[in-house]
Amino acid sequence: MLFFFGFISLIFVGYLIWLIYAVFKFPVPFVYNIRSLWQRKSSTLTTASAISLVVSIFIVVLSLAQGISKAFITSGLPNQALVMRPSSRFELNSTITRDQARILKLSPLVSKDGNNAIASAEVIVIKLFNKADGAGSNITVRGIEPRGISMRPQVRLISGRWFQPGLSEVTIPAKIQLRYPELAVGRSFRMGGREWNIVGSFDAAGSSFDSEIWSDVDDVMQAFKRDDYSTVLVRLRAEKDLRVFAFEVENERRLQLEVVPERVYFKELTKAGDPIRIIGNLITVILTIGAIFSAMNTMYASVASRTREIGTLRALGYRRREILASFQWEAIVLCTLGGLGGSLLSLLADGIQTGTTSFDTFSDISFAFTITPALIGQGLFFSIGMGILGGLLPAWRASNIPLTEAMKA
Amino acid sequence: MNQSFKAPIVHIHNLSKSYFRETLEIPVLQGLDLDIPSGGFYALMGPSGSGKTTLLNLIAGIDRPSGGVLEVCGSNLNQLDDDELASWRNQNVGFIFQNYNLIPVLNAFENVELPLLLTPLTRTQRKEKVEEALTLVNLMDRLENYPRQLSGGQEQRVAIARAIVGNPMLLVADEPTGALDAKNADEVLAMMQKLNEEFGKTILVVTHDPKAANFARHQVHLEKGVLDKTVEVNR
Repeated sequence: MLFFFGFISLIFVGYLIWLIYAVFKFPVPFVYNIRSLWQRKSSTLTTASAISLVVSIFIVVLSLAQGISKAFITSGLPNQALVMRPSSRFELNSTITRDQARILKLSPLVSKDGNNAIASAEVIVIKLFNKADGAGSNITVRGIEPRGISMRPQVRLISGRWFQPGLSEVTIPAKIQLRYPELAVGRSFRMGGREWNIVGSFDAAGSSFDSEIWSDVDDVMQAFKRDDYSTVLVRLRAEKDLRVFAFEVENERRLQLEVVPERVYFKELTKAGDPIRIIGNLITVILTIGAIFSAMNTMYASVASRTREIGTLRALGYRRREILASFQWEAIVLCTLGGLGGSLLSLLADGIQTGTTSFDTFSDISFAFTITPALIGQGLFFSIGMGILGGLLPAWRASNIPLTEAMKA
Repeated sequence: MNQSFKAPIVHIHNLSKSYFRETLEIPVLQGLDLDIPSGGFYALMGPSGSGKTTLLNLIAGIDRPSGGVLEVCGSNLNQLDDDELASWRNQNVGFIFQNYNLIPVLNAFENVELPLLLTPLTRTQRKEKVEEALTLVNLMDRLENYPRQLSGGQEQRVAIARAIVGNPMLLVADEPTGALDAKNADEVLAMMQKLNEEFGKTILVVTHDPKAANFARHQVHLEKGVLDKTVEVNR
């Protein structure tokens, strides 16, 4: 299968190189194709619009998948690790006793600030929030030690203040507040049988922490009647200590826990975006097939109505391959026009804040659509691909009309 | 623009052409012998289906014969492959069509320039040649006009300019006045006569019109794919 796709890709790239060569070396004037597209404004616009729609969906799907990936990939530091119950895979499934947490913090490999280990014992719970319109979603609540805030340097307080231990206070990401206006600073909500005051909001620079409500670990454990932590986040003296630390933690009889580098953990969570990516890709594939047929139909009609022109060009001495390249480029220009339209259309989604449910943790992931130049480049490349596929057969037809038949048209 | 050519510019011996409809062979030309000297002006005449357009297409390198010898402008066309034949047409043949066959999205200048784009000429050299050709057909004031902005007669003159711009040895015309009124038809025929007499172009015209045929110096009559007679026109 790999060989097959490699072979097809090789042919595709070879053909593209030949087409680029044709632009500079072949004599059919490019203006002929541009004006021919302009002459058939309505069919050009209809096809370009269909392609615009497909390309914009393609870019938005990529942006969505990228947004989810970014949320997780930017969440970890290279010299930090999560200590979890073996095989628990996610923080939500893990438990660590208070004694184990204490032993972990005593490890000489853990960074110290004075006499205090740079580590945060944390608990994860899920809270269902309902919006005013009735729609609701599970939001992760992370109980952390005060040290846990400074261990996430990408997190920045943007209004109010951080929660204080013992006061049932929470600090909420601004991105969640955008989607849940009722969680504004100064308001409160019920959770775990008590009232929680919202005292501040923070920004986590697009990382997964933008999807979590933060509070004091002991307050959350009391409210949810939990005796154990979920995980302990530790900062090691250096990244190279990770392996030794993991070996010690796994083999220490009182611990026997699993150490997962923070970045590896969050990278694993990027798979939360897979279902959306798969559905998005499926929709894109279906629409792409439609758009290719639309481009093909337009180009076939164009070839049919220009048979005599093709015959004239051939009679004047233009070769088959020059006609092929000319019509192929016309299809590419048509689809690239659609690609440019689609890129502009996709910019409407740029910056829109949204969320989805992770099928691993069943909790909400907040992220923003970010339309980057790289995504627009991919969209344009995609439209060129559609131009090549949609234009190939009509261009082949144009170059192979028997000359005597073309002259009679 | 004068060309001298001692051997006949067109040498045809025992030429045949058949088309196939499924397995049925339909002969169009059979055992044709014809020599056209350089600088000749020949009209191909005959009833519909006599094979005159087929003969013109064979001589112009648009179609290939089924058998026989076909030498035009010093090349044996049977021996040329598709690419060589395309290049040969560009260098040796100028085409004038009944419906002008101008490219509608290109203006007069660009239409005339089309055959030159296949040559190694520079942009400046091409411009000079296009302007020379358009001057010859009295259309220098129309070089920015698109075909839709020209009359039928003007369109055909642009087509003539395109046919002569590359200085080919042979001009072929298929019913060049078929779509024109009498006045424009006379103008076009007079122009072709001028190209033949003053510039020594060999011209081969397919026509039904006896008046048009009288502009030629020889009339070749075909009947059911066979050469019936060749008549010299007395002027």
